[in-house]
Amino acid sequence: MHGIRGEAASSFDQVLRQREAQVLRTAFRILGNWADAEDVAQEVFLRLHRRGLVFANDAAAGGWLYRVTVNLCLDRTRSARPSQELSDIPSRERSAEALVLVEEKKQRLMAALALLPRKERAAVVLREIEGLSTAEVAEALGSSEVTVRSQISKALVRLRGILNREEV
Amino acid sequence: MNEEEMRELFREMRDEPVPADSLARVRAAVDQRIQKRPWLSAWKIAAALLMAGCVVGAFLSLRPGKPVPIEQVSPPEIAQVLPVQVESPAPPKIPVRVASHPRRARPRPVVEGVPVSIRIETPDPDVVILLVN
Repeated sequence: MHGIRGEAASSFDQVLRQREAQVLRTAFRILGNWADAEDVAQEVFLRLHRRGLVFANDAAAGGWLYRVTVNLCLDRTRSARPSQELSDIPSRERSAEALVLVEEKKQRLMAALALLPRKERAAVVLREIEGLSTAEVAEALGSSEVTVRSQISKALVRLRGILNREEV
Repeated sequence: MNEEEMRELFREMRDEPVPADSLARVRAAVDQRIQKRPWLSAWKIAAALLMAGCVVGAFLSLRPGKPVPIEQVSPPEIAQVLPVQVESPAPPKIPVRVASHPRRARPRPVVEGVPVSIRIETPDPDVVILLVN
């Protein structure tokens, strides 16, 4: 058993150090800024500490953390409507270096990701960036695998549309 | 940007390091809030105990220590209604006739002049005993 309650503080610290990057990165990909991601990450670990969950294994712990992280992020984005412009995307002409170009593409992709409906965005982040299986994504989002596949498929089409529209 | 290119970029994002200062801030904030929590929970426990004490105190104070004299409520007086003596109509007076002469035992009639004889037969048919007066 991968216990948290029984092994008290040291165990909690261990989980915190193991999982903080995962939680923070996921929150950042969904929310789009580090400040909000940090707030969400704090709340996730406080909930973990408060509930003192005992997980059957490491995957269960990871799944729980993903689920809580995504739910908190979705709650935060519930009221916020994505802007319809990719205003903060640097234009292609700003950099010539290949590396910088890749970074630029990533930023544009992230900005386009922020325009997606929040559930589609969460599904893409978990499946494509975090590399979870469809079943794991479905569990984290509380939906079926069919729904997740559909959401990811639609999201990729939308992303392509957004990015291609910007390129024109 | 095609789908494959997007997936490739997503995969690269997966390996991107998280800013160390963000991690440090999260860790510090979590530690700080967890350390505050025991005081918070102690206050909660104290408040709960106080509340429970108040409830018990209120219960005990309301509970009677000695028997409260219960005022005896006398039953309302009921006017006694005496049974009405209904005079039954007197039976018709039948005049009792008093015998003019006291009753006397009737004397047994004596039959005189009739001879009484008892005939006793014996086993011997030739012998009969006759008792006459």
